[in-house]
Amino acid sequence: MIDKVKVPFSLAGRLSKMLPADREQLSGYAFLLPLLFFISALILLPVLGTFLDSLRRDLPYLPSKFVGLENYLAIFRDDGFWDSVRFTTLFVAVSVPLEVILGLIIALLLNETFPGRTALRATVLIPWAIPAAVSGRIFELIYNYSFGVANYFTQLLGGGQVNWLGTDLGAFAAVVIADVWKTTPFAAIILLAGLATIDPDLYRQAQVDRANFMQRFLKVTLPLLKPVLIVTLLFRTVDALRVFDVIFVLTGGGPGGSTNAMSLFAYTYYAAGDFGYGAAVSVLLFVVALGFSLAYIKMARLGEEL
Amino acid sequence: MREETIKKILLAVAAILTTIFCLGPFIYMVLTSLSGNPDFLLPTKTFAFTSRNFIAVIFSESAHFLAYLRNSLVISAVTAVATVFLASLAAYALTRLSLPGKTVLLLCILALSMFPPISLISYLFKLISALGWVYTYPGLILPYVAWSMPLSLWILVSYFAQVPKDLDRSARIDGASRLQTLIKIILPVAAPGVFSTALLVFIFAFNEFLFALMLTVDYRSRTIPVGIALFEGIHGRIPWGEIMAAATLTTIPVVILTLIFQRRIVQGLTRGAVKQ
Repeated sequence: MIDKVKVPFSLAGRLSKMLPADREQLSGYAFLLPLLFFISALILLPVLGTFLDSLRRDLPYLPSKFVGLENYLAIFRDDGFWDSVRFTTLFVAVSVPLEVILGLIIALLLNETFPGRTALRATVLIPWAIPAAVSGRIFELIYNYSFGVANYFTQLLGGGQVNWLGTDLGAFAAVVIADVWKTTPFAAIILLAGLATIDPDLYRQAQVDRANFMQRFLKVTLPLLKPVLIVTLLFRTVDALRVFDVIFVLTGGGPGGSTNAMSLFAYTYYAAGDFGYGAAVSVLLFVVALGFSLAYIKMARLGEEL
Repeated sequence: MREETIKKILLAVAAILTTIFCLGPFIYMVLTSLSGNPDFLLPTKTFAFTSRNFIAVIFSESAHFLAYLRNSLVISAVTAVATVFLASLAAYALTRLSLPGKTVLLLCILALSMFPPISLISYLFKLISALGWVYTYPGLILPYVAWSMPLSLWILVSYFAQVPKDLDRSARIDGASRLQTLIKIILPVAAPGVFSTALLVFIFAFNEFLFALMLTVDYRSRTIPVGIALFEGIHGRIPWGEIMAAATLTTIPVVILTLIFQRRIVQGLTRGAVKQ
């Protein structure tokens, strides 16, 4: 009986005992190794490393020293940190709904048949394709106080020049508008794909029932689009939480720290060589983002079960 | 009948507004890049056409524009090819092998792409500096490959799942190895999806900013978004014409790619979010 034969517990022994088909199957799992290597070495390990960094303090000319939760305690007493939390929350709360609503309007438009629709679908992708650092630069020029196109229009409309990048409110609006321009296309594309999955018979049925446009939208489109709408909201929220490039270029966090997003706040500490403090801020942002990621996973799995 | 007319007018207005919204800043950029004076909107000024900005950007040694652009193109292309190949291997395993908890694994990997990049950068910066890679392409390519892996895997899995399993089963019976089956059967059949994925990764890598800012030091590996963001000119006054010329030259490759492959890009993007 094969079972009775004592085989030393070794991988080689186990492998030689396996059926050829099983060994084959095992070789297939090796296909996952490059992915797992990259993910562990360059995503998971860095996240862990950043967490460990957040427990240390960097000292000039000396090795960094373990300080436990001191960085976190300092952060909670840091007004600059709370300012960045407040800005990031406001930024998400204002820009994400704007992007999704505008995206929905554009998606509804692109879902209709009209001449030039294909061209418009391609045009909509242009803001999405342009690097955020470049669009940040374009908007910096648009908001230029003396000759930018934004103030050209405010004056044309009878208003005065607006100090877009030099005042708190102006800078907030400037950053939100630039982000809305850059990311609304993404929302529109995802929502358009969602609209395409709605059965046209439902609209025909609604038409027979003499439902008007608004009724069709509220009773057919919106309920059926809900899962895709939530996914879009989540994607955009996670993305807006970690906003960095457009603000780095446009305001650099200013004026006076009024647009200092959390990523930017952490970055200024990295740039100054204070990795422990920057890492602690990053870990806090990570925890918030993780919460949203888990919400997404739960959503996606719910969708699968339904 | 009345509703039809109103609808037509509304559609036309919305289409025009959307076009202005999407193209306005883009056109402003191109106009400024072609103007001798960036303040051409002022009532006292006029638009003075010139190609001087482009010539200055392209031929200026100190601006390193061409070096940045070359770095960006090479890094993005290598990242796209490497990511798609490695993610294909994993997508093959996930769609063709019996693996317990496949869906959960896939979702957990997707969740990785939602991490804020700032939460990786402290460790990555130390790693890449310790390896002495801050002046080299691998210093950016390797993090980019890792970072674009989750979404590529997600998209590729959805495409590979649609390739009939009988196709590769018969190839396997004929004695082809798994790798041969993947390269000769699945990849060609799923070519449109593979191409969409590669395009998305290319555009991601071309546009990425934070890693490029932290993990590069100078023109030897710095990419064009960082180059443009940090470009302030030498004489105090911001050279808007030159910045917009550089911006225009940078956006040309991605805009052309986007316009040509619009359908592919949209397919790839929506694979990740909407169940077909």
